Amino acid sequence: MSETLEAPVMQEAGEGPAVETLSMQQALNRALAEVLAENPRAVVLGEDVGRLGGVFRITDGLQARFGEQRVFDTPLAESGILGMSVGLAMAGYHPIPEVQFDGFAYPAINQIVCQVGRMNYRSRGTLPMPITLRVPSFGGIRAPEHHGESLESLFAHVPGLKVVSPSDPNQAYHLLKHAATRPDPVVFMEPKSRYWQKGEVDLDAAAHGFRPGGSRVAREGRHVTLVAWGAMVARCLQVSELAAEDGIDVEVLDLRWLKPIDAEGLAASVAKTRRAVVVHEAPLTAGLGAEVAALVTERCFGTLRAPVERVTGFDVPYPSGDLEDEYIPNIDRILFGIQRVLEYRRG
Amino acid sequence: MAEISFPLPDLGEGLIEATVLEWLVAEGEQVERNHPLVEVETTKSAVELPSPQAGKVLRIFGTPGDTIKVGDPLIVFEVPDDTAGIVGTVPKEEAPKRRVRLNAVLDED
Repeated sequence: MSETLEAPVMQEAGEGPAVETLSMQQALNRALAEVLAENPRAVVLGEDVGRLGGVFRITDGLQARFGEQRVFDTPLAESGILGMSVGLAMAGYHPIPEVQFDGFAYPAINQIVCQVGRMNYRSRGTLPMPITLRVPSFGGIRAPEHHGESLESLFAHVPGLKVVSPSDPNQAYHLLKHAATRPDPVVFMEPKSRYWQKGEVDLDAAAHGFRPGGSRVAREGRHVTLVAWGAMVARCLQVSELAAEDGIDVEVLDLRWLKPIDAEGLAASVAKTRRAVVVHEAPLTAGLGAEVAALVTERCFGTLRAPVERVTGFDVPYPSGDLEDEYIPNIDRILFGIQRVLEYRRG
Repeated sequence: MAEISFPLPDLGEGLIEATVLEWLVAEGEQVERNHPLVEVETTKSAVELPSPQAGKVLRIFGTPGDTIKVGDPLIVFEVPDDTAGIVGTVPKEEAPKRRVRLNAVLDED
């Protein structure tokens, strides 16, 4: 697998203003349109991505613009969507499949694990799998079962896959464009609860030094590092403002890449703050927070002031409806996590 | 704004068409999800179709007496670009609320 930590690539500035205010939906739609325009081998496929434009409007207008050969609807069969993507990749295409909701990825696990992740290895590099698998992910939209799962640790555990999750429209736009030009399969986990929030997208960010690889310090702080990704980054930024009222200076590290994890960026932040709280929506046990805690412990054991805290979902199936607010780490639970690392004393 | 087309669904097992009896909404009307849209008659029964979603009715197809094939356009809605998907709701942006206060003595800083 090629390394994701690499120098920014200079790109030509696009038409129009360099900075636009877009929702994450619009930013992703823009990124897909540009990928399709720039790479004639890129194709978009999935349930309702064509005529309907996707249930979240991410592929809105793409079929009308690029035609039914390049943006097409599939049967309701995720194993088929991924199986077709494997075949397309073998034939030299860059498929960008969408699994409509996280919970629908399970029927395609065989294709994802045994084909997408392994074909390059199995063929000694002769059959790379440049597949960008878009998965609207995580909870927060009051959807029924199967529509609010957090599968990052499943995907991250599969050799051969890379996993990334954007936290805002600017990250979404650039990370999707980056992922869709990689030679390796990337699982692109879109935080669906953040689809509608608008933010500034620096369309010329490449020229301004946007780094697509590694983690990103979303807010600098001195006392404790909150490690998060996807929708939890925005929540941790809220928490950091509240903690500031109490005199606690919180650093928020947007991990972005969940495989490979930017261990150096993680260590650099925690070496400074000496305390870490990792926040994720997925269940606690064997969640990615455990991996983060291990990496921090390996690299910062001597300077850590407290064991790494995990503030996560619970070890239960994702609940629908109002119970969502109890399941997803809320502001108070994250504040409690910070309090625990602050008051911890050795001995 | 985005347009969302709703084709005539299969209203029974293997029915291929239906006849419009009466439209219960007009073009330009704002409807909520499950609002009755149209009464149609199939070879089995007359049924009222509820709206699959909220939105403004942009176009309706067929006048009373017209036959529409399953899968052909029945109605087109106009919805804001930021409307949620068919499943779920757009989360509200609320000012953050807290009950927990941090109370820590930072002994080293």
